[in-house]
Amino acid sequence: MSAGRRVAVVGCGYSHVGRNTGLSIDDHMIQATKAALADAGLTVADIDGITSVGTEPLNDAWLLGIEPVNWWATGMMAPAFSYSATQAIAAVASGFCDTALALRVIGQQPSSSALVKGAGANHPMTSMLHRAAGDRQFIVPFGAGSPVQWAGMFTNRYIQQYGATEEDFGHHVVTQRYHASMNDDAIFREPLTLDDYLAARYVSKPLRILDCDYPVDSGSAVIFTTEERARDLAQPVVLVESYALNAIRDLHFEVMSDMVHTAPVQTAKKLWEGTELTPADVDTAQLYDGFSIIVFQWLEALGFCGEGEAAAFVREGNTRLGGSLPVNTDGGACNVGRRHGANFCIESTRQLRGQSGERQVDGAEVAVWTNAVGPFSAGAILTKG
Amino acid sequence: MTTTTASDDTAEGPLPPLPQPDPVTQFFWDGIAAGELRIQRCQNCGHYLHYPKVLCRYCQSDDLAGERVSGRATLYTWTIAVQPFHPFYVDRIPYIVATVELDEEPGLMFMTQMTDCTEEDLRIGMPVEVTFVDLHPELTLPFFRPARDGGAK
Repeated sequence: MSAGRRVAVVGCGYSHVGRNTGLSIDDHMIQATKAALADAGLTVADIDGITSVGTEPLNDAWLLGIEPVNWWATGMMAPAFSYSATQAIAAVASGFCDTALALRVIGQQPSSSALVKGAGANHPMTSMLHRAAGDRQFIVPFGAGSPVQWAGMFTNRYIQQYGATEEDFGHHVVTQRYHASMNDDAIFREPLTLDDYLAARYVSKPLRILDCDYPVDSGSAVIFTTEERARDLAQPVVLVESYALNAIRDLHFEVMSDMVHTAPVQTAKKLWEGTELTPADVDTAQLYDGFSIIVFQWLEALGFCGEGEAAAFVREGNTRLGGSLPVNTDGGACNVGRRHGANFCIESTRQLRGQSGERQVDGAEVAVWTNAVGPFSAGAILTKG
Repeated sequence: MTTTTASDDTAEGPLPPLPQPDPVTQFFWDGIAAGELRIQRCQNCGHYLHYPKVLCRYCQSDDLAGERVSGRATLYTWTIAVQPFHPFYVDRIPYIVATVELDEEPGLMFMTQMTDCTEEDLRIGMPVEVTFVDLHPELTLPFFRPARDGGAK
């Protein structure tokens, strides 16, 4: 158990997530926050800390009417939602604030067909694609710099190093879609076959379009408070057992000297140092799937299987509901849309509350959720309270 | 598949994403113009640094200089780019984006394109060598190709 006050996850919420929703970033922030407050049975007056990746926390606090704000943190170059969440957990654990709101709010990025016509220069996730200054002068002129290209290189290195196959990634994608078929929140719910996967187009071979998370407008909010307060609220208690946030270099994936053992190795080490639990105790894992290879890295880093064994672990059905370690039971970001890690925290919480419906993992008491890969990553182990 | 070559490039069509050299990186592009691959090296501790910086991250010395390197490397990984993200590359797909490890120092990685080869020719760990490709009248880049001598030292 991590140091300081024991922290609980008490509220989870999403905005009206979708493609080109026409809603502003502020709308998504507010909708997600209201949903999380309702889930927790709290009001804005109960919140005294706020952090976000994607919006400006003090602007958010002003719009929401949070005052006074006793703690806030802004995440710029950060592993998405897991940055907000780990900061919020630490703030509550330390007593910096009592009840913290962690946000990830995303405006859908321009399509690739718009990008090649010069769009996207002002979008936070694509502005770097055309600008060849600073470090980017060694990337962009070479026709590189999209995340799909480093993901293609990570995937290919894994395949070459361990003798994995493209079909192995297909088994993962098919499994996630099966889980999504049981999730009303998922955007893609039609079951896939391995042939469907193999017929899908490449975006950066061996990476296929079905290996990529799905760009959407989304707002995600999670509320953390002390265990003591959580016990007075309506929802079943879910506790933070361990959490970690790590970086191993600056943000250049393309020149990492080891693209197989990346930041998740360090995050996993710290997560297990923070608890007496072991990988065998985990009932379900929610592992960031911005690209399929990231799930494979986490399965190995967390010790659910040996080095180079994630492909076989997935192929043998372990990650499927009913298997030894159901993974991404909400369908993952490939199917629920890009929420940059928040959905994994939220699905873990719902599983531990017993609220995952048809896709519920029987008797789930320990869940791990993680976010990001490469230069930086973070995650947490949650337990049923 | 075939790889991108410069032979049929003209000044027509979209401009490439042109690098914007700055005082820290000018040596690199001067090297390209001179037909040399130059990598920043700390004159205090001897480590190479890529991408170039104002300080050495190993010893924090600011005594740094671009030095010509052998242009020899091993292939670490690659991906076949089939989705363009810049107008210049729309008519140039597919091409091979690769990361190579330069011979000068373990872990000294360089992101590039592979040329003069097909996907089937590629193996991780294979010896490769730099070749300067004129992509456009205003852009020459250091790409890599399979080592013609098979990597003999």
